Amino acid sequence: MLQIETEVLIIGGGVLGAVVARELSRYKVDVILVEKEADFGWGSTKTNMCIVCQGADTLEFRPEYHRSKLVWDSMPLMEPLCQELDVPFKKVGELALIRNNEELAKFQKLKSRAEKIGITGHQFIDQDTLRQMEPHVTRQATGALYDPNIAIVDPVRLTIGLVENAVQNGVKVMRETEVLRISQEANQFEVETNRGSVKCRFIVNAAGTSAEKIARLVNSDDFVLYPIRGYVGILDKNLGGLIKHEIHMRPDAPGQMNILTPSIHGNLFFGTTMQPARRGDYSTTRRIVEIGFQNVRKIVPDFSEKDIIHSFAGFLMFRNWEVGWHECVVQASRKVPRFISICIGYPGVSAAPATAREVTELLRREGLRLETNESFSPSRKAPPILNELPEEQQKELIAKDHCYGHVVCRCETVTEGEIVEAVRRGATTLDGIKFRTRAGMGRCQGGFCTPRVVKILARELGLPEEKITKKGRESRLLLHKSKELIEAQT
Amino acid sequence: MKYSDIDVAVIGSGPAGMAAAIKAKEEGAVRVLILERQEQLGGLLHQCVHNGFGLFYFGQDLTGPEYGHRFAEKVRDSGIEALLETMVTRISADRQINAMNNREGPLNLRPKSIVLAMGCRERSRGQLNVPGTRPAGVFTAGTAQRLVNVEGFVPGKRVVILGSGDIGMIMARRLTLEGAEVKAVVEILPYVGGLTRNEVQCLHDFRIPLLLEHTVTQIHGEQRVEAVTIAKVGKDKKPINGTEQVIECDTLLLSVGLIPENELSLMAGVELDPLTGGPVVDHWRETTIPGIFAGGNVVHVHDLVDNVSWEAEIAGAWAAKFAQKGRLEKERKIMLKPGRNIRYVVPQAISTQNDVTLYARVKDMEQDVQLKVGNIFMQKLRVVKPGEMLKLDLSQSQMSQLNVNTSELIVECGAPRVKPKVPY
Repeated sequence: MLQIETEVLIIGGGVLGAVVARELSRYKVDVILVEKEADFGWGSTKTNMCIVCQGADTLEFRPEYHRSKLVWDSMPLMEPLCQELDVPFKKVGELALIRNNEELAKFQKLKSRAEKIGITGHQFIDQDTLRQMEPHVTRQATGALYDPNIAIVDPVRLTIGLVENAVQNGVKVMRETEVLRISQEANQFEVETNRGSVKCRFIVNAAGTSAEKIARLVNSDDFVLYPIRGYVGILDKNLGGLIKHEIHMRPDAPGQMNILTPSIHGNLFFGTTMQPARRGDYSTTRRIVEIGFQNVRKIVPDFSEKDIIHSFAGFLMFRNWEVGWHECVVQASRKVPRFISICIGYPGVSAAPATAREVTELLRREGLRLETNESFSPSRKAPPILNELPEEQQKELIAKDHCYGHVVCRCETVTEGEIVEAVRRGATTLDGIKFRTRAGMGRCQGGFCTPRVVKILARELGLPEEKITKKGRESRLLLHKSKELIEAQT
Repeated sequence: MKYSDIDVAVIGSGPAGMAAAIKAKEEGAVRVLILERQEQLGGLLHQCVHNGFGLFYFGQDLTGPEYGHRFAEKVRDSGIEALLETMVTRISADRQINAMNNREGPLNLRPKSIVLAMGCRERSRGQLNVPGTRPAGVFTAGTAQRLVNVEGFVPGKRVVILGSGDIGMIMARRLTLEGAEVKAVVEILPYVGGLTRNEVQCLHDFRIPLLLEHTVTQIHGEQRVEAVTIAKVGKDKKPINGTEQVIECDTLLLSVGLIPENELSLMAGVELDPLTGGPVVDHWRETTIPGIFAGGNVVHVHDLVDNVSWEAEIAGAWAAKFAQKGRLEKERKIMLKPGRNIRYVVPQAISTQNDVTLYARVKDMEQDVQLKVGNIFMQKLRVVKPGEMLKLDLSQSQMSQLNVNTSELIVECGAPRVKPKVPY
């Protein structure tokens, strides 16, 4: 069992934990980031809808909310951050559809509210302009509120980029490390994990859906979080070109959301129903999938159920009526010194850059000495993606490393070289490869590449193939060798 | 350039690709090139170690690898070139092919004609929208088949199979032989999706429970599959409340349908038939783009491999002719339209130039029906099933009866004969 000491321990390797780790690496501070899953960004980050929003189209973003401020402050920071980290960022703009006068009045109110705060660029467009911009949206929409600032990112790649850059600048990271108990001594915490104990002076609790649980480990019960489960469906890339903007439609029933957006990788995502659910239960139900599909058909009536290639569930964390349902948690504990909790609830990705700055400030106030790290480098180089390179560079890359000429995932054209590189950078599981390279994310959903990726993983990690897991822990893919079961019977 | 004067390029080297290439060579194409993404010729035949291949084509009962081997030898002997471990990434309407492998890097070629023989892929869990958690242990039947027969692994010990397609039923038997327990094959329809012979030889003979009119309604387990909930379905194919039962298992296989693999066809701008999922083809298996032909499961999902090879041979032969002549002269075109209880017909267009074999599938099982093509062809059948392909041979002389103005023929399954009432 290992025993280590550090100044700051960040619990949770989602986008928020990662962005804080990277921000702290600007200073001469010992930082350890622990993540309970086998890779980074596997909680709420990966179930995000990939939108960098500013929320000027929904009532939930009240100007007095701290969360709104974090999102608005983050807006101008996101694009430069993505550039530094060499991860994709694309401005797509948002169209909030208007179907009747009631909706028009709502959006007019929202627009003037946004202008008061200083968010500009919104404009109302008529039906003809909407038709031109998005020919496939429902004819029921008589116009839309257009917000040109909305962008899309790949939240997991952003998180990986942040972690890699943080590591480059001296942060230590530990995966498959789950915090079990925290005890407080005079001037430090002793954090017990499944892999040993970590002594630290400061804790940043960025445990996402488990943030409340972690806070309770130090008897800090300043906040309550209510998990609300949301559903997201992914449509085939063949339809990717049909919609170019993020499209938002006001829901017809409470507890629903109606969002359709292109993703960075050319699929369409649709966000659907929300319902309270047991924390950590990421399962979907038949009814929810049905409602979800009905909803997306309200935006684009031509979609067929056959176009869905995948759907999944994620969590949004809500506060309570006292602080406001849609408020976030970014605060130092009132009871326990040097313990900071962050949970944006949603949209965590959009609020990440400003949250990192604020957490740094909170740590300073709690007594962390922040001395500039002169050797800090803000830029990180993403692994090459063969499919996105021009032919000349493809040739060069394949000449240098033949693995880049071997396509393993046909749907997304992912090569062996990319998979090997992902393993070198830390992927240890099938899902790790999937989120880092997109192998298995296409329309056949890993039907073709799974056995091949398992083989490459086993070879690169020096493990037998039976040890390879889907997502760590007990998720082994191949339970037995051939003839093993028969021999056991005889 | 090494590949600058290719006559016929064949994409894929399964039972369709190899048959098409051989036929093209026989019909006089000088340079025939196969592009195959795997390490060896044969496509999916390698993992189909069961028998039942070639009963009609060779008049012998062969396994998949044996069937493939016969074609592969012929490919080698007839001087057909093959680029292995080569992935075709793009085809354009002017027959430009972009491919890639780890020896030569990106490749560009422009053959005189192309045969699409990419086969098909399996529907995944995502497309089926099976609700529940996302643990390890959910595989398509074909992936499991590769794992067992090629890679040497048994994915799990207690297995439930959703869908009764042929691969699913074959894997039920295969996994039983490997010592796993197949707890049930669950089928939403009132009859199996695959061939009757597989129902008998793979399920009944091994006493594997077959639950018709049932479906999986939930997958359980955080890390690895722990159980599935199944339920009976009503006439609307929706689960009936109160009929749910939980089956403990560590693996769920999906055998819920195959989709022709046409991403490359779409890039080229080939028109697809929404009923088959494959290209719209004529009796020569030419797609809507001149010089691009298609045969086998890429056109429509066959039930027998023999038909796959035969169909691809048509494509290969005419691709060779196209390569020689630069274009094909076609006489008047007659469109075939599916009528009552017919799901689809291939080819979608015929002409009266030569004899033609039509392939069709029905929508629902029916007994004592009469198949009709317009009013020129009729055949009585005792039973028709969606899982079994109908093959109709239409001769030139039959077609000569057609009115010169006929531009469309309806292929239909006539209503079942009503039994005469017995008088008192």
